[in-house]
Amino acid sequence: MTELATRQLMKTYGDRPALEPLTLDIASGTKVALVGHNGSGKTTLMKMAAGLLDPTEGSVLIGRHAAGSQEARRLLSWLSDSPTFYDDLSLWEHLEFVARLHGVTDWQARAEELLEQIGLSARRDDIPTTFSRGLRQKAAISLAFIRPFQLMLVDEPFVGLDEPGKQALLTMLDAASQRGATMVIATHELAFVKQVGRLLALRDGELVYDGAPSDTDVHALVLPS
Amino acid sequence: MSELSLDVLHDLRRRRKRRRLGDIEWFDAAYRVYLVALFGGGTVLWISSSISDTTVSDQAVADIARNGPALIGLITTLAFLAALRSGAQGGPLALEAPDVAYVMLSPVDRMRALLRPVTQRARSAAALAGTFGAIVGQLAGRRLPGTPLAWAASGAAFGITTALLWAGTALIAHAIRMPLWLATSIGLVGVAWQGAALAWHLPGPANLDGSLAMWGWRQGPIDLVAPLLAVIVLLVGVGMLQQTSLDALARRSSLVAQLRFAVTMQDLRTVILLRRQLNQEQTRGTPWMSVPRWIQRPIPRRGIASMARFPATRLVRMTGFAAMAGVLQAMVVRGTTPAIIGTALMLFVLGLEAMEPLSQEVDQPDRTESLPIERGELLVRHLVAPAIALVPFAVIAAVSAVAVLGTTGAIAPAAILALPTILAGAGGGVVSIVRDAPDPAKGSSQQAFVPPEMAGISSAMRIGLPVLISALAASTILLVRQAERLGNSPIGAALRGAVGACLLIFLIGYWVRRRDQWRRKIRQFMSDGQNYTKQQRSTPA
Repeated sequence: MTELATRQLMKTYGDRPALEPLTLDIASGTKVALVGHNGSGKTTLMKMAAGLLDPTEGSVLIGRHAAGSQEARRLLSWLSDSPTFYDDLSLWEHLEFVARLHGVTDWQARAEELLEQIGLSARRDDIPTTFSRGLRQKAAISLAFIRPFQLMLVDEPFVGLDEPGKQALLTMLDAASQRGATMVIATHELAFVKQVGRLLALRDGELVYDGAPSDTDVHALVLPS
Repeated sequence: MSELSLDVLHDLRRRRKRRRLGDIEWFDAAYRVYLVALFGGGTVLWISSSISDTTVSDQAVADIARNGPALIGLITTLAFLAALRSGAQGGPLALEAPDVAYVMLSPVDRMRALLRPVTQRARSAAALAGTFGAIVGQLAGRRLPGTPLAWAASGAAFGITTALLWAGTALIAHAIRMPLWLATSIGLVGVAWQGAALAWHLPGPANLDGSLAMWGWRQGPIDLVAPLLAVIVLLVGVGMLQQTSLDALARRSSLVAQLRFAVTMQDLRTVILLRRQLNQEQTRGTPWMSVPRWIQRPIPRRGIASMARFPATRLVRMTGFAAMAGVLQAMVVRGTTPAIIGTALMLFVLGLEAMEPLSQEVDQPDRTESLPIERGELLVRHLVAPAIALVPFAVIAAVSAVAVLGTTGAIAPAAILALPTILAGAGGGVVSIVRDAPDPAKGSSQQAFVPPEMAGISSAMRIGLPVLISALAASTILLVRQAERLGNSPIGAALRGAVGACLLIFLIGYWVRRRDQWRRKIRQFMSDGQNYTKQQRSTPA
């Protein structure tokens, strides 16, 4: 079954194309890495799939539902590279709020487990807007994982993370993948690319590679034209 | 689950509200309310008292009866134009960034989740427009048939109706993703139609709303269609909330947060800057003109390069401000003294718009400090290019003033006064820009010398002083009016006014040039005083 499908999906900013028409299917349970140079269109693609950005043309389906629809939002978890937080809620209160918004009632045990895993247990009662870049990223990771999802879109997840944080995130991504969730991860960490089953490469908004990471020179793919 | 999510959302909002209320410094808030009431009320009373209580002539009453609804309806069509453009640019809603990231991306019913922000937006717009309508209404009631109270009520009804129409129209334009060009075209057609209705006494699209504003004098039940229509438009807009673009909400959320902060800090320049960003007003990729080669000095070159990239919308807006300033000055000559306040505001905002190179410079204090030129000198040099750029706007102001006055005798005084008045008026904007600039050398010790009792006054001065400078520039027109009344030469009066405006320009330039030095001396003086006090205390008696 297809978890994420794009049909002639396109985005332009004024006259400048950010993403050329893209038709793509990502099957359920796969782990996909999305690579490309800065400005290649990775974040644009991810945001359109998350329903955060209106496509200029084309469409995105999450499962069988239009991106941004209520059903699609239930299925999709979005982990941004620039997380935002309420400046009057603690991390624990954020976790409670996000979990309950998604209908998770017994969230406390899961929240404790996540904070333990990511190394934020001691900071659970602090306000995340006061955190450093790395800690904010960890907080965002815990919020993305506190809720149920079938598809997770992750944009530059490793930026700002220390080594234990990276390892914790990799473990979480693996665990989610093993329980059948689809993961699409946009990254510049080329070492991570070897761990996925499918690699997508964008260059200047165009899809230039779609296949197994072992069959290509990944370093060459991320060079701008 | 959607119902459950909404309960969670409402619960969170309640908790946050309780927390916010708990954090409010009530004494401080009450003091601010007191200041607003004092200055705002004082201004309204001053304007009210400056308008004669004698009723207007029968001929004027007949003119107002015939043209009033169409003329007031013009305001409604302008609000309609603004609403369409706001919706096309992603307005009128703005959420907190985390609300977009967590609430809007959760499976909660978006229409119901957005209902409260919409209610708040419509309510605040209605309160603002209603208050303004009531103030203007009671002013009209002093000279026209009907009681001021009845006029205030009808003015408020007009304001509220227009605000609701604005909110609903903007929501609909947003939901259907109306392109900006189409929004502007439809809005302009509405304005043109209403303008034609005023000129040729045709039925205008907003005549009913305009007529509602005159209920203080005469009542036509058919006018009630206008508020009914406004409510229907708002309800249709609310019904389309599911189509709200997250793209626009995400973009606006951070800007609106900054905007609120700037408003809280009474930072007018930042407010205007953020409004531009909110309207997606971007500098032109291709400049209108390249910087002439013969201009060699880097600062004027930088200034011209900046202004050559002004977008067309900003130039149109500046033209509007200049033209309106001319019209208001003509009204002053005809006897409406409070129009000076309007002129001052127009010139102040025109100054803020024109002084973009200066704004850009003061926003980069670290770079400014690293240049081998004194900051005051640098800032003064940045004034030259915008001052030259204001010349055509002075011509526009002069032409519009003469057109309104309709006499050839007005040409010479307008030609003499326009440029000095525009430049001195724009000086209010310069003062606002330079004074609100971030100052890397500023120490905290200086703040300690401002007692809490003075904080409110300094807060009022922060907003008031730049506008007061612009008002001082605008008031040079009073010399011309006085000369006309006394039968003296208006040209001589205009020359005296121009000299006064030039003096004001010089003083502003001198203040910009020397301000840093004066501030350093004051800081040194304060620091010496503190050290002396410490020394005295530590010395045994």
